[in-house]
Amino acid sequence: MPPRPDAVNLNELLARIAKSAGLALIVGVLILIFVYGAQGFTSKFNLFNLTRNLSVAAVVGFGMMVVLALGHMNLALGSTALASVMIMGWVMKVAALPVPVAVGCGLAVGSLLGLLNGWLIVKTKLHSFIITLATASMFLGLVLIMFPGGPISDLPREFTGISKTRYFGWVSGMLLITLVAGVVLAVMYRFTTLGRQMLATGANPDAAELSGIPVSRAILLAHTLSGFLAALAGVMFTARQGSALLSTGEDWLLASFLAPLLGGTLLAGGYVSVVGAFLGAMLVGILQNGLVLIGVPDFWVEFVLGLTLLITVSLDRLRNVLAARRGN
Amino acid sequence: MTDVALKIENATKRFPGVLALDHAALELRPGEVHALLGENGAGKSTLIKIITGVHEPTEGTVWVDGEEVTFKSPHDAMDAGIGAVHQERNLIPRFTVAENIMLEAVPTKRGQVDYAEMRRQAEYWLSELDLDIDPDLPVQRLSVAQMQLLEIARALSLKSRVLLLDEPTASITEHEVQVLFSFLRKLKAQGVAILFVSHKLEEVFEICDRVTVLRDGKNACTNVPISDLNRDGVVAHMVGRDNALSDLGHRAPVDAPTKLELKDVSTRIGHSNVNLHAKKGEVLGFYGLVGAGRSELARALIGADKITGGQVLIDGKEAKISSVQDALRKYQMGYVSEDRKGDGLILAHSVADNIGVTIWHKIAKFGGFVTDTMQRKSVRGFVDRLEVKTPSLQQTLGNLSGGNQQKVSVAKWLAAETEILIIDEPTVGVDIRTKGYLHKLIWEVAEAGVTVLVISSDMPEIVAVADRLIVMNEMQVVGDLPNSRDYDEMSQKIMQSIVGASDLKESA
Amino acid sequence: MKNDNLMKRFLAAEWSSLLILSLVMMAAMTIITPRFLNFDNQAILTRSLAPLLIVAFAQAIVIGIGQMNLAVGAIGGMVAVFFGGMMEAWGFPIPVAIAIGFACGVAAGALNGAIIAFSGINGFIVTLATLSIFKGLNLGVTKSIPFYEMPDALVWFGEARFGPFAAILIVPVICVVALAWFLKYNIYGRQILAVGGNAHAAELAGISNNRVTILAHTISGALAGVAGMLSVARLGVGQPTIGGDWLLASFAAPVIGGAILLGGHIPILGTVLGVLVIILIENLLVLYGVDPQYNEFFVGALILAAVGFNHWRSLRAEARLKEGKA
Repeated sequence: MPPRPDAVNLNELLARIAKSAGLALIVGVLILIFVYGAQGFTSKFNLFNLTRNLSVAAVVGFGMMVVLALGHMNLALGSTALASVMIMGWVMKVAALPVPVAVGCGLAVGSLLGLLNGWLIVKTKLHSFIITLATASMFLGLVLIMFPGGPISDLPREFTGISKTRYFGWVSGMLLITLVAGVVLAVMYRFTTLGRQMLATGANPDAAELSGIPVSRAILLAHTLSGFLAALAGVMFTARQGSALLSTGEDWLLASFLAPLLGGTLLAGGYVSVVGAFLGAMLVGILQNGLVLIGVPDFWVEFVLGLTLLITVSLDRLRNVLAARRGN
Repeated sequence: MTDVALKIENATKRFPGVLALDHAALELRPGEVHALLGENGAGKSTLIKIITGVHEPTEGTVWVDGEEVTFKSPHDAMDAGIGAVHQERNLIPRFTVAENIMLEAVPTKRGQVDYAEMRRQAEYWLSELDLDIDPDLPVQRLSVAQMQLLEIARALSLKSRVLLLDEPTASITEHEVQVLFSFLRKLKAQGVAILFVSHKLEEVFEICDRVTVLRDGKNACTNVPISDLNRDGVVAHMVGRDNALSDLGHRAPVDAPTKLELKDVSTRIGHSNVNLHAKKGEVLGFYGLVGAGRSELARALIGADKITGGQVLIDGKEAKISSVQDALRKYQMGYVSEDRKGDGLILAHSVADNIGVTIWHKIAKFGGFVTDTMQRKSVRGFVDRLEVKTPSLQQTLGNLSGGNQQKVSVAKWLAAETEILIIDEPTVGVDIRTKGYLHKLIWEVAEAGVTVLVISSDMPEIVAVADRLIVMNEMQVVGDLPNSRDYDEMSQKIMQSIVGASDLKESA
Repeated sequence: MKNDNLMKRFLAAEWSSLLILSLVMMAAMTIITPRFLNFDNQAILTRSLAPLLIVAFAQAIVIGIGQMNLAVGAIGGMVAVFFGGMMEAWGFPIPVAIAIGFACGVAAGALNGAIIAFSGINGFIVTLATLSIFKGLNLGVTKSIPFYEMPDALVWFGEARFGPFAAILIVPVICVVALAWFLKYNIYGRQILAVGGNAHAAELAGISNNRVTILAHTISGALAGVAGMLSVARLGVGQPTIGGDWLLASFAAPVIGGAILLGGHIPILGTVLGVLVIILIENLLVLYGVDPQYNEFFVGALILAAVGFNHWRSLRAEARLKEGKA
């Protein structure tokens, strides 16, 4: 039989869809359970709240996903967001500049801090874990030194309004920002040279280098993007809170890894799933929301999230092992 | 005690898509040094891995001292008295020499590691091998040769009755080789059975008693006394010259302007005063022993490592190459790595992505947009032309056979329309059919005007393919020979270049 | 001549620069703030040093095999409240509570190790997951309410001091000495370093990588548990927030001390000095009345400086090796 190199393999296509479909199914079942089991889950207020939280969580997840694509990590995601929103708050409130300028400043700060991470990693060739662990505490410390007065509250209504818009009475307007970010990322990885270069760098940096890919540039840009997304998530979070809080990003570590890892993005790099990361954030958001509604104390939610991560990753691993066995 | 220490029959190993070993057999007697020979990809390493318990054979039986055994792990083999020194270093860098030697059997006293006893035993083995190494030195401070000898000392400390040495002389000096050989003779006298894997035929004739040659996973000859063979006979077994290389045909000498020229080039890795040139459309072969610095020179040329002195001229103009990107985009220069898995290919990605990687910047539209369809359109021609056997372009590359992977790693540079193509070990681990195909392809590419630099440790291959031969030794060019394509004549000349250079060094 | 040699060997040791740094810091602090040498201040310093020392080694042992344990803080916190709860709510005597608390840390660490070894999932993900599982257990059971009624003997132990030294310092001293002995003279300790140095070679030498993974994580869990219980003694309260801020310091101290994330090396003296430097910075800030939260910045900067310094030193060593050969 002559090979037909251009025919898209149906099995592979199905496998690709199945990867996200499994997660989508779990999310669907979860929604059903909470719709029938948790009182108030379908109330407009709750759904609005849920979609609002979820849109922030998804952007946080995207921020981690773009460095996971390289096989890197960004532990400084939370403090990057903190630094960005504090400076944004200062520009908005103290310098009293227009809201778009302030938001622009915040996003620029995030991108710059991300660029700094990338630069340190490229220059020292050290593991991103240790570099971003160090910069995470440096960013945090700097913010604490720069803003001894604490949070910046009473941000202009023009700004906080972003978080109050809603469609159909229950969909948060911020979801739109998240969807735009997601689509841009998906397009980047699927249809642009840059995205492909990042994935190649993540899958095998030596081979990427020898194939003429500007590996250092890919690393710099991915970390810059990660910083930008962290800042974006911070801005959205701040809009919801109404003030630039010093606790911004404090507890993002688990959430930032959860969404992409649940969605099938590889820790080792070279493969990302934007849809998966979004579904992962959905799973986390709905689980958190629903559990609290059915009366599970807040404290146990984290327990369940940890367990979810462990089970999902184990199942994925098991599937791979079984697939390999079948392959032999 | 039987007179057979180790016996293997019908050893077959099947990997997905590849038959690596096909009913191979081997017999080792106590007190003999037995050579296991074969070209790269002939199945030597698979057989070694079966003997050392790394792989379980798909079929076949292994006997140790007349008893049938099955090895589930390397440790099983070790327990059965089979000691091995592999090509990759298996030492703990921060541990001392003594502790590395005694790693399998750390001496203890009252539950504590007994460093004094460890040192004493290690010193014994070091003195047995006539090695002047401080047992308290951390291994990371040793030279590569010292590490190699240290591993042999370790294998011996296990009182192995079967000792397997995989290319033990690849990176050690002539003097050290003699030290090793005199020790092997001593072991022989003690009744140890030694399996000696090497590319260097001189050494095989010097030290070995019997020879087994593998070719294409099968035995080309089995347990033949060395006295029944001469050099040509062994080579004939290894390459099976009747079927391998004679059908390449004839190629006229190239008469074209110089494309690439190196003037007194030195590199950070240690090359000095490298001078050579290659014409447009010429196939220039690079031969040398492992460690001669051929791949390293290639890497420096394409900008993956630093050139510290001299000039590189392309089309007569000085070329400034500071990264692989420069080499590819400014000078259309490409490098097919010998290490497909390590830095040649991205096995976790698709066939299309692996070929497309070198041309994304070219096929992109609107400042950086590449769709799968665009990519497929650009790479399909190369997949067809090279007859890559794949169910689809989106197939994960890691699922293809070694030969097809190698075709892909060549295809990606053909797609990039390189004018200078460096191919490092073009046929390692590929089947004989693909091998012949790749040789023809190299000529085709050269015919189309590409300057092809072929690096190979496979002498028959390089003699068959190249128009001219550059011989390297210890980071220097020691010979620049026109190729008559007569194997006996050329192999003589090549060896003379290498030996002559070493002699010169000795006398200096 | 001999002195010269000794000096050279001292400077070649990886901990020499850290020792000099901490001595300089101490000298500077003595000059600037004579209060630094005050026994009260010294006791404060050594009291905060104690749990952190153990935490640093809880991480170092896992770094030694080239992995990470993100759950050190969560295990410490969980054991701490469990320890407090056993004494307050159930009235267990201190030794029994210590024994059960220790077993709890061992079990948590062994669980981490077993999941990593048998599932083959990256240790980072596993300990990230168990981090929230242990933390959730801790907060879920206690509802984030501390146990205040600690036995007098324990409170006394937490506050007692001998001259400038806090009594609780005895625990990390024992732990560190035991660990140093274990890593140097025990066969399993050597196996941990062997696997970290070259896992493949160790496997070929008959050392089970899985068993070593479980062992290293078990020791890590045990140490984290001890650090948690020691924190209870130090604070006099069984607080659920114990361990919440250990992550940074646990990596910082070994890394500053010269550990490499790839494994194979656990710098004992370096890690101790790393903790000392971190605590000195904290102490400096306290003496100046600066919010100790700023500490974060300096510790982060210190990590960067240390890895940068080590990177530079290895580059130089490499260059020298090449020169020597040429």
